[in-house]
Amino acid sequence: MAARGRTLWICSLALVCVGVLAAQRLRFPDLEDHPAPFPPDGHEKTEFAFARLMYPSIGRGYWGWRGAWTTDYPKADRQFVQGVRRLTRIHTRSVEEVVDLDTDKIYDWPFVYAVEVGHWDLSDQQAARLRDFLLRGGFLMTDDFHGTYEWDVFLASMQRVFPERPIVEIPSEDEIFHVVYDLDERFQVPGIQYFYSGRPYEQDGIEPRWRAIYDDQGRIMVAICHNMDLGDAWEWADLPRYPERWASLAYRIGINYILYAMTH
Amino acid sequence: MFEVFFGYPLSLYRKGELVLLSPYPRWWLAAAVVASALALAAAVWRRRARLAPGLTGRRPVFVWLLQACLLALVLLLLWQPALRVSTLKPQQNVVALLIDNSSSMMIEEEGETRLAQAVRLLEGGLLEGLSKNFQVRLYRLSDRLERIPDLGSLGAARPATRIGDALREMAREAASLPLGAVVLLSDGADNSGGIDLSTLAEIRSRRIPVHSIGFGRERFARDIEISDVKVSERALAGSRLSAAVTLRHTGYASRKTRLAVRDGDRLLAAKELVLGPPERRQTELVLFHAGPAGIRTLEFSLEPLDGEENPRNNALRRLVQVEASRPRVFYFEGEPRWEYKFIRRALAEDPVIELVSMLRTTQNKLYRQGLSSPEELADGFPGRVEELFAYQALILGSVEAGYFTPVQQELIRQFVDRRGGGILFLGGRAALADGAWATSPLAELLPVTLPSQKSSFHRDQAAVELAPAGRDSLITRLVEDPEENAKRWSELPRLADYQEVGEPKPGATVLALLRTPTGRSLPLLVTQNYGRGRSAVFATGGSWRWQMRQELADQTHEIFWQQLVRWLVTGTAGLVSGSTPRPVLTDESIVRLEAFVRDKTYLPAADARVEARVLGPDGLADTVELAPDPQQPGSYRADWRAERPGSYVAEIVAVRGAEEAGRDTVAFRREDGVAENFRAEQNRELLEKLAEQTGGAYYRPAQARRLLDDIVYSEAGITVQETKELWNLPAVFLLLVLLKTAEWFLRRRWGVV
Repeated sequence: MAARGRTLWICSLALVCVGVLAAQRLRFPDLEDHPAPFPPDGHEKTEFAFARLMYPSIGRGYWGWRGAWTTDYPKADRQFVQGVRRLTRIHTRSVEEVVDLDTDKIYDWPFVYAVEVGHWDLSDQQAARLRDFLLRGGFLMTDDFHGTYEWDVFLASMQRVFPERPIVEIPSEDEIFHVVYDLDERFQVPGIQYFYSGRPYEQDGIEPRWRAIYDDQGRIMVAICHNMDLGDAWEWADLPRYPERWASLAYRIGINYILYAMTH
Repeated sequence: MFEVFFGYPLSLYRKGELVLLSPYPRWWLAAAVVASALALAAAVWRRRARLAPGLTGRRPVFVWLLQACLLALVLLLLWQPALRVSTLKPQQNVVALLIDNSSSMMIEEEGETRLAQAVRLLEGGLLEGLSKNFQVRLYRLSDRLERIPDLGSLGAARPATRIGDALREMAREAASLPLGAVVLLSDGADNSGGIDLSTLAEIRSRRIPVHSIGFGRERFARDIEISDVKVSERALAGSRLSAAVTLRHTGYASRKTRLAVRDGDRLLAAKELVLGPPERRQTELVLFHAGPAGIRTLEFSLEPLDGEENPRNNALRRLVQVEASRPRVFYFEGEPRWEYKFIRRALAEDPVIELVSMLRTTQNKLYRQGLSSPEELADGFPGRVEELFAYQALILGSVEAGYFTPVQQELIRQFVDRRGGGILFLGGRAALADGAWATSPLAELLPVTLPSQKSSFHRDQAAVELAPAGRDSLITRLVEDPEENAKRWSELPRLADYQEVGEPKPGATVLALLRTPTGRSLPLLVTQNYGRGRSAVFATGGSWRWQMRQELADQTHEIFWQQLVRWLVTGTAGLVSGSTPRPVLTDESIVRLEAFVRDKTYLPAADARVEARVLGPDGLADTVELAPDPQQPGSYRADWRAERPGSYVAEIVAVRGAEEAGRDTVAFRREDGVAENFRAEQNRELLEKLAEQTGGAYYRPAQARRLLDDIVYSEAGITVQETKELWNLPAVFLLLVLLKTAEWFLRRRWGVV
């Protein structure tokens, strides 16, 4: 009898939790890396929303401690889209969209941002869905992973997505660096760690790399920002001591990538 | 029987003129009739009470009427009525026997061809009977008229029948011959387009009676025929084409058959169909791919059915010119959105369409894609005719009407109206009513009357379905089968957004509908023609979900957009557009080549030199100059003779001054002997009308011996006037007796004898 009562109590609590989550829809307050205020127009229906990919992390499990996908979330997202709204004509929502790779929701958000992919660990099913998403016309931007070890971890999952497609350096003349801003001059954008470590790079990721996976028509499907932390630059753009030139480049790269995704 | 009572054949009465031989004036006859009728009336009225008390009420009137008629008839006979008629003088006139030996006369019916039936009839006494009184000339009639010495010289069947030409020839011969009559032995299956009025007038002016003897069944018991095929004469390479095939049949109701489209040996499409009620026209739509560039001779054929009497009318050929051109389409988008990307992607897979696009990415930046040179559209949306008119179609996305200057707006209108371009308006946050297009001068271009209020654009998902008109449209045909296609549409993923576009204008066609989350049904895709061009509205910016929300292999999104844009560019002519009214010449050789020449601003150019370089079968080559039409500036035409059957290509080149204005290609084909297989039943209507119009008569073969009596009554050739008295006809005597007997019978009945 006591066991049945406890089960009932747990089920009720779970239902309440699900209800609260559903009510908040766009918010994952417990998972926020760096909380940010929810704007009053956060529920506006728009053409574009900054979609953040939810994925399982290596060694820590899907719903383990916060998950690597939440890094900089949601402050980076909300601060970045303010720039997108101000600098482009994209009808953009002020609040990001979290996209779970275990559902078909990803197909409604053709631009997806994945952070800390040096820790992701996609299942075969998730890899297949991501591959399908990209081949149908979706676009994935990855960011904030550094050095050889994290590259290898990234590659292990990415090769499950596209075992046959090479990852190549994006030439400077590629449209992705010119669609809005001409980004011939690019440099490493360090994260906030620079102020603790004094180094612009993390681990052995000294050289910033702008890499990509192309489709058969020569269009970028996956834009890989390796050895840089654009997410931190968006997140800390309002920090007085964070250099403007880093934040500015991060915004420009982000905007170019989104516009590229919406035109190619 | 007629002759027993009336003394002469009916044809004599038809041809003869009624005359009175008495020397007394006719008015005397009328006066005598009236006077005697009045006298009779007075006598009957005065004496009825005394002599015949039974004659009460209307009875005296009847008696008077019968007596007056009798008296009038007797008076008429005193004036000696007669028929005056012209008859051919024996042995002095020519009778022309025209025997149809075209291939339709070779159709076998009851074990004997129509021609054999005609020969049998002539040899069975008709020819001999005619020869007794006339000099008979034999002719064989097909695509030409040739005199033959005897029936054995009829020879092999010819590919066509031209009755009109033959009659014109006979009329010419009549100028130097005492031609008394023409006898036409034919099935009436004329394929020169009928007998023209001038020929009939010539025959009638010479008073030559044409007697016709009809051969062949008036209706086949079991036959199926393709009556017509309507298919676009031009198509872009790789396009999907639709052909409307009209067929009719007798004796095969509810039977299944197979309609096939072939390009040489290659099967392009096949369709099973069920035949409807007999004698009714049935139109079937068949879709196929045009294939690569080139001239296609497509054969549309029906599978022969068992027991079919004329399987040679089961196929028709049509020419389709598949063009290698790459139409350029300009897409202007006012804001970055997914629809833009996915439209670009869908059209990038079309090997024919070249898409040039311009996108407002930021407040001050325009992003251009698909350019042919860095200078293209460098100054933004075109402001000059030469720039905008370089495209064949224009797509306007989510952009306010006010973005365009008045000059640009007029240019857009002229682009559709004068240039003949296609324009597509997409739904969007700043499009249509929300972009103040309802109050712009370009509202007249739209196929819908936009709602006056803004906020017509909704970012809510909407389901789609095919409208009734969309079932037959090439734009909305995603799969071949119409039922399957309608189902496919209803199963498409929801649109990401939709826009209310108001009511379709009169003449517009709604091809697809959307269903809002509240269940309202609104137009989604509406098209119409405007001026020389076309316009369409697609009331959403969210069809990209058809790509992202369907299996990777699914091609719905690509097919839809490619077909919609191909429709937009179809018919958008270049500076020189060539054409011919009849691309398939059936049993004729004269082709009319036409060209319309415009200057660089697409205004008619009347000062061009235009010539056509024609290439035909067996290396045949010729050059013909097209003359300007003074009635229509910019229009040029020429008639040219295609000497041999086969396919021809004419390259039309226009030159203005020292500069070439443009060129276009026209394809046509001459086919001989094909039309003869169609409508191969006896065309009795034509034969009857011909006889009626010329004073002849129509005969079935079984009645043809009557011709021997009738043919003598003619006003052509060498004739004599004959007078046939009518007073001694048995019918007159019978009438006299009848009138008197009727009076006697009535009197008896009333007891006043």
